[in-house]
Amino acid sequence: MNPMLNAFQTNSANAALFTSHDVAAPRKRPILTVNDLTVSFSGVPVLHGVDLTVDKGEAIGIVGESGCGKSVTWRAVLGLLPKSAEVKGEARLDGFNLAGASQSKLEQVRGGRIAMIFQDPASALNPVHRIGAQITEALRLHRGLTSASARAEARRLLDQVGIPDATSRLNAYPHELSGGQNQRVMIAIALAGEPELLVADEPTTALDATVQAQILLLLKTIQRDTGMGLVMISHDLAAVAAICDRVCVMYAGRIVEAAPTHTLLNAPQHPYTRDLIGAIPPSDGPRVRLTAIPGAPPHGGLPPGCAYAPRCQSADAACAMTGPDMRTISARHVVRCLRVADGTRQ
Amino acid sequence: MTLLQLEKVSRRYPIGNPVFGLRSFLTAVDQVSLEVRKGETTGVVGESGCGKSTTGRLALGLEQADSGHVLFEDKQLAAADTREWRAKRQRMQLVYQDTLAALDRRMTIGDLIAEPLVIHDIGDRASRQQRVLDLLYAVGLSEHHRALYPHQLSGGQRQRVVLARALAPSPSLLVCDEPVSALDVSVQAQIVNLLVDLQQELGLGILFISHDLRVVRHVSDRIVVMYLGQVVEHGRADTVIDQPMHPYTQALVSAMPKLPGGFDHYLPLPGEPPSPTERPSGCPFHPRCHLAKDICRQTQPELLPLGPERRVSCHLVSNP
Repeated sequence: MNPMLNAFQTNSANAALFTSHDVAAPRKRPILTVNDLTVSFSGVPVLHGVDLTVDKGEAIGIVGESGCGKSVTWRAVLGLLPKSAEVKGEARLDGFNLAGASQSKLEQVRGGRIAMIFQDPASALNPVHRIGAQITEALRLHRGLTSASARAEARRLLDQVGIPDATSRLNAYPHELSGGQNQRVMIAIALAGEPELLVADEPTTALDATVQAQILLLLKTIQRDTGMGLVMISHDLAAVAAICDRVCVMYAGRIVEAAPTHTLLNAPQHPYTRDLIGAIPPSDGPRVRLTAIPGAPPHGGLPPGCAYAPRCQSADAACAMTGPDMRTISARHVVRCLRVADGTRQ
Repeated sequence: MTLLQLEKVSRRYPIGNPVFGLRSFLTAVDQVSLEVRKGETTGVVGESGCGKSTTGRLALGLEQADSGHVLFEDKQLAAADTREWRAKRQRMQLVYQDTLAALDRRMTIGDLIAEPLVIHDIGDRASRQQRVLDLLYAVGLSEHHRALYPHQLSGGQRQRVVLARALAPSPSLLVCDEPVSALDVSVQAQIVNLLVDLQQELGLGILFISHDLRVVRHVSDRIVVMYLGQVVEHGRADTVIDQPMHPYTQALVSAMPKLPGGFDHYLPLPGEPPSPTERPSGCPFHPRCHLAKDICRQTQPELLPLGPERRVSCHLVSNP
């Protein structure tokens, strides 16, 4: 294990596993800082300026509905968008700007310092190669391990991601494993480069409920044990809130609210966040009518004022005219809403 | 009043190649009993491969049961594609997940909603036009949608069209197979609320099939939990989810992250649902059950009544 990873472990050794009450926790060094990131496809803007930071060892969640830009943000950071995408702004990793960097520069970062896993593990894995070969390939590329040492490390990684009987499983093909096991293999490949940051894009959406819980808790355990940062992109607020320290809510290509999980769930300030929480059927307690947000998110062009104003129950004339800026309302809690800024909301 | 009743219904499919003597059977649905009452919703919940969709198809007569009975409005459901079955199909409609597949892309929304009226020979041209308009408003669309084509609508609007089309021939039973799973949370809430409203207004019986425990809990009066083709627990919605008795239901409920609270009460459940082709002996759940004893490995438990409207299929719950 490399010394950097050991240092990470010491740092997070006292962190409790599943508590998210980090309101008073001191801030750590940011690994990644995204500033005013915009993306447009053939002149149509889809991302309208995203700012966020991920601290060392932090698990953050990115939540929003389809088309809100949650995946595009991270694909832009890692240079995974098609050529038709125009990316502006910056995504700094230790002073190095990833946004718009050349592929050869990005290849030194991807898989090594920042790894990514996707929704559908079956299509991300190569069906004609044994999973052992696919893990050792990552080990050779990112850590220069070969033959016996690579194989031993691959076995350790499979153990770490909870695949029983790792030695024989190294010789299996992806089709011989279930969806959940394939996702574990993807996580093992992502961990092969000992990343500082793991970006998981809808990692459990294709999995059954009981397997989803296993994978989420595995990601959380690994994040705590290795001290890496974790970015979990999902449409499922409950899943994100269960394992992340902080949650960013995105709407129509912008972050509209970001706060520590506990604060976001108990004192959401943006009307969209409130409506989103109200739209999720509760898992216990009395059955109340769900909040049905009228209409649908904007497609292509944004309305002149706040993007959420046409669907917002508390919007007034000003909301339709002026686009709100991001306001800081308490430590680490930021909201993009006019009504919060002028104090009409508690 | 009982609208739909499944009595020990089973469905198995042949698998393997008969030429090489490898013919065997996959039991997709095994002795499933459930009922849907008028104006009430029965939720069917389980993971992939548990037979919940096949149960829905059996209820509609789209699949023939190998054994057991399907009773609709107190009469045995006739075989598919017979004249009697077609007459009954007017009273029982299907709503499912993939709206683009459900709607013919070359037909306008108005024609799509009118089609079931034409097929079942309901009303004349003028009254059908009026009915289409009424249905569009009932599902929260408006007159201008009538001339549009499916691809011009959003996913949520298409699901409304599918619902309007299902409601056109005034059914008494809706079978909804994952009706909101492809939709975003906010749109999902719109459709769930619409379904609840329409049910109250029209007194529909609904068989609601979904993998999403939250949604099923929200819409259902009764819940059936399935595992590997069998019903493992059955009861009132609030009791099944709030006080689950079967170890599988307990694990399923605990795997649903609470908001807030996350996995505070998580009960680790090892492994994944096995393929229906590799059904374990005894209780189908025993390889993943932390309570499993010898009897669970040998004998299949029966679905036994346990309190009012409650049935559980577990040796350890019925004989603690």
